[in-house]
Amino acid sequence: MRKMLVSYMTLGYPNVEGYLEFIDGAISQGSDVLEVGIKPKFAKYDGPVIRKSYKAVNLSEGETWELLKETRKRSNVPAIVLTYLEDWLGKLDEFLSKLREVGVNGVLFPDLIIDFTDEYEKYVKAIRDHGLKAVIFTSPSVPDTMIHDLSKNSDLFLYYGVRPTTGVPIPVSVDSLITRVRTLVENKLVVGFGLSDVEDMRKALRAGADGIAIGTAYIEEVEKRGVKSAISLVKYFRGVLDEF
Amino acid sequence: MVEREEILPKYWYNVIPDLPKPLPPPRDPPEAEFSRIDLLRKIMPKEVLRQQFTVERFIKIPEDVRNAYLNIGRPTPLLRAKRLEEMLGTPAKIYFKFEGATPTGSHKINTALPQAYFAKEEGVNHVVTETGAGQWGTAVALSARMFDMNATVFMVRVSYEQKPQRRTIMQLYGADVYASPTNLTEFGRKILAENKDHPGSLGIAMSEAIEFALKNEIKYLVGSVLDVAILHQSVIGLEAIRQLDELGEDPDVLIGCVGGGSNFGGFAFPFYGAKKGKKFIAVGSYEIPKFSKGDYVYDFPDTAGLLPQVKMITLGKDYVPPPIYAGGLRYHGAAPSLSLLIKEKVVEWREYSEPEIFEAAKLFMRAQGIVPAPESAHAIKAVIDEALEAKRANEKRVIVFNLSGHGLLDLPNYESMMKRSLK
Ligand SMILES: Cc1ncc(COP(=O)(O)O)c(C=O)c1O
Repeated sequence: MRKMLVSYMTLGYPNVEGYLEFIDGAISQGSDVLEVGIKPKFAKYDGPVIRKSYKAVNLSEGETWELLKETRKRSNVPAIVLTYLEDWLGKLDEFLSKLREVGVNGVLFPDLIIDFTDEYEKYVKAIRDHGLKAVIFTSPSVPDTMIHDLSKNSDLFLYYGVRPTTGVPIPVSVDSLITRVRTLVENKLVVGFGLSDVEDMRKALRAGADGIAIGTAYIEEVEKRGVKSAISLVKYFRGVLDEF
Repeated sequence: MVEREEILPKYWYNVIPDLPKPLPPPRDPPEAEFSRIDLLRKIMPKEVLRQQFTVERFIKIPEDVRNAYLNIGRPTPLLRAKRLEEMLGTPAKIYFKFEGATPTGSHKINTALPQAYFAKEEGVNHVVTETGAGQWGTAVALSARMFDMNATVFMVRVSYEQKPQRRTIMQLYGADVYASPTNLTEFGRKILAENKDHPGSLGIAMSEAIEFALKNEIKYLVGSVLDVAILHQSVIGLEAIRQLDELGEDPDVLIGCVGGGSNFGGFAFPFYGAKKGKKFIAVGSYEIPKFSKGDYVYDFPDTAGLLPQVKMITLGKDYVPPPIYAGGLRYHGAAPSLSLLIKEKVVEWREYSEPEIFEAAKLFMRAQGIVPAPESAHAIKAVIDEALEAKRANEKRVIVFNLSGHGLLDLPNYESMMKRSLK
């Protein structure tokens, strides 16, 4: 079975044209899911590179919705929005309806399991009630029994971040982390957070991951060598996934 | 008779996978100019950092570290405080794990040894840290010596001047000890420019140590608070479980004092993981009321705000603790895993004042002959209260506590306490 490539980009980074060019390229080079980050008030659990990309973006709310709609128009692959639940608490219904309206397929709140542990079911239900997929983010510090339950409750796949933050290559034992979590997950398992190192990617896939999520590596590439170069990275990662 | 080697565990116990809820990850502050999480990568030994973020329940103790543990006299004794029981007239049985039996006089060596070892494994031959009263610095100094490395210790100036014996021990072990703030770092020079007689603080010393590590590309060792220190301290609890088993005892109540949480966690978490014990009591200082007045929020472990924020029970990084004698409890927060277990009511807490712990320490000395560290006397006060409650209820509870250190270098403190209580 084809391994999934989940490609992340910050909405509007490095600018609207560059962002759309990347999205087009990410799709044509074989991404299976697009993950689009809406600039939060505080990127609590994001690493330095993604934080920097948020800083570079300055979209009004209107432009944000426009650009999401445009993203959706260009692609036939599922598009998931990544944004912090904290920012939308007072206006969640409105926000979710709007996401649905612009055609987004689902939403991932990185702070859901950490900061809203006791109420996560309520939010998952709210997401689904609006016709959206609820992609759940977990990490190694989520207790085993909870990972098992969440995996059944997550739509499309369970997202598992192996490092405490994105884009900082903290030494972790990728293989043993994945081997352990694989037995708990009753769903597709997508692994992310600092997996741009291809050896780590291969370890994760060998240990049973169904897919890989990449973000920081693209943003760094856009920053250093531009959008075209980031698109060739998509192709490169697709190649690594296709070895399996 | 079981051999020492058999009691000393082969694996450390990591509580993270057994927590009832996800442990919130460390994070960078909102407007960070540089990533503190990335900074950890530069200053901590790689394997220590890996262990900080691991979720394996058991982590193998390297053979060299086990040998070093044996060399410093591990397993430490588990003793029964029989005379204390008699003096209290309690039907409870009281046992204690005596971490004061290590050469540096407290539990701190349990994590200093592996951290120094992992730095050495990485090809580094020099480690650096900060110390307040000197327990942690002493442990680092000896650990570095055991693995033939150099050690630099930034010691808070007031302690450097007022606790010359601790400084002497570190120097005898071969460490370079500096009164912080120093002229050796930019941060130190900045503080001295503002006030050349600055008494120093743990936050300043920590900042200097981190800067020194970065500049010299050597490794920084972390004393408490980060969960990896608790992981290494788990040798205390793992040994105690084994020793109680040998005696055929099943513990009911487990007690330890809390500065940053490493000795409490190291002692109590293995019991929790093994589903032994009905009641866990973490004891803090009444004068530093983090359990009663602290908030469970993201905060910096260090006063200077150089390390990543962690979610913990805290009085705030800028909280200035009053000068109580239990120097090791003068800390604004408690380790994330311990904080979470307190929030989830798995672990109970108590806070006791200095006069109360002084009375408890005296009673313990007169019963058992051991001078406890003033920090450990906090645990003793809770033990006495539990034992008296068992007496009222006429219950045969088995109470086990961690005597985290001896107080032989705290005698000036006890003298001052005596003078105060005479007034
Ligand atoms: C003897 C003694 N007990 C307890 C503590 C507090 O330790 P922890 O940070 O492990 O909670 C210290 C800290 O310096 C200490 O020296």
